[in-house]
Amino acid sequence: MDEGAISVTGLGVRFTRNRSARRSFKDLFGGRARRRRPEEFWPLRNVSFDVAPGEAIGVVGRNGQGKSTLLKLVAQVMLPDEGTVRVEGGVAPLIEITGGFVNDLSVRDNVNLTAGLHGMTPRETAQRFDEIISFAELERFVDTPYKHLSSGMKVRLAFAVISRLEEPIILVDEVLAVGDAQFRAKCYMRIEELLAGGRTLFFVSHNEKDLLRFCTRGLYLDEGRLVLDAPIRDVVERYNADYGAR
Amino acid sequence: MTSADAARPPARPRWSPATRYRRSLWLLTTRDLKVRYSTSALGYLWSILDPLVMAGIYWFVFTQVFDREVGEEPYIVFLLAGLLPWMWFTGAVSDSTRAFTKEAKLIRSTTIPRTIWVARLVLSKGIEFIASIPVLAIFVIAAGASLHVEAFWWLLAIPLQAALTLGIGLLIAPLVVFFRDLERAVKLILRFLFYASPIIYGLNDLPEQFQFWGAFNPLAGIFSLYRSAFFPAQLDWFAVAASGGMTVAFLVVGFLVYRASIRRVLKEI
Repeated sequence: MDEGAISVTGLGVRFTRNRSARRSFKDLFGGRARRRRPEEFWPLRNVSFDVAPGEAIGVVGRNGQGKSTLLKLVAQVMLPDEGTVRVEGGVAPLIEITGGFVNDLSVRDNVNLTAGLHGMTPRETAQRFDEIISFAELERFVDTPYKHLSSGMKVRLAFAVISRLEEPIILVDEVLAVGDAQFRAKCYMRIEELLAGGRTLFFVSHNEKDLLRFCTRGLYLDEGRLVLDAPIRDVVERYNADYGAR
Repeated sequence: MTSADAARPPARPRWSPATRYRRSLWLLTTRDLKVRYSTSALGYLWSILDPLVMAGIYWFVFTQVFDREVGEEPYIVFLLAGLLPWMWFTGAVSDSTRAFTKEAKLIRSTTIPRTIWVARLVLSKGIEFIASIPVLAIFVIAAGASLHVEAFWWLLAIPLQAALTLGIGLLIAPLVVFFRDLERAVKLILRFLFYASPIIYGLNDLPEQFQFWGAFNPLAGIFSLYRSAFFPAQLDWFAVAASGGMTVAFLVVGFLVYRASIRRVLKEI
């Protein structure tokens, strides 16, 4: 497979319905009969598709139909119970982007840490450091502890780092809903730049305009199944026909 | 598609999995140490104050209050040679109950090999242990204990303890995600283990009938290696062999439990 390609076959993930497989010691020793039998359900099942390098895929569906789960599986931060996910090359996941940042460390330390954990070498990080900071518009805060940043600044910093990872695949999970309009526009431009640079994009959104702007192909998920895999315009039309956004 | 092909970023040379593991482990370990030492003025002192205060208490109780019949002279060195490695063990094991829950956000957004979440705890507590060795040296000199050639056994004791702690951590960390009660149970077990391990006494101070079983506490053999540097008579090869066997067993079981449960852990956190 080429760098940037994704191949998903027979993908399935199982959850237990009555919240969490968590048990207490009482359940453990309580014998089979008294144990709560968790009810199973599959947020995703029998999903198969192939993505060529450089394609821009939009994932469409109502809430709770497996969109974010699919993204996590492609990002390989969740592992499937059935089927396989093959991803050629690294992934820049714009999922929970502020998650890895440490409150007590400075902006500089946080950039080095997060970039490093996503696979950037110290030299690459050093080369891109100024670019990251100026994109995030945090030049005056480089040595400020992360906890003193405003929530908007935090998201800006996180987006700046992850979008500079130089990985062939980018995953975007509605992170762009945050931040002010001006920064959002900047993020969109960055994503377009990455797309023009031949990256593979995986985009989850409820926003029809964004989907049509970035994506060429759409995946429509409903009740954990891949209902339609077609050009994005057809997918959005079908979704609107089913759940009428008018 | 040719224009897009040309524009595609050149394939970046990737790190080998071993390099990635090492780098990520190091990044997270230094992160922990940095946070600890940048947020408190006393930084380093805190990590040695705890064993020092404990050693002070036991020294007072067992040399000034009671007539001590256990351990060796100087007792403070005997105590510290067991207490400092104990701090490493207990710190890493009790932190591993929160290995996945505390870092949930980061685990949900990065793909680094997930044994690192336990390994980093063993490593950062291990570094603190190494950093506390000078304190032990000061007490050795001040109390006039002598250093023997058995000090070289530390080179065996340290990796053995690291492997044992890693095995136990890999076993506990995923289980806590499913059985929340385990977090408190582990605290209780650790407190019990403190007195059940040869820390305030030596293995040969145990009554005859307990000595055989005491050796199966994997910490007994490891502590006997540490202590042999100052008290060669403490070295007990039977206990060391038992420690080695238990360590391998914990590593194997820990790794199997980790591998069988990681899928569900990732869904739970």
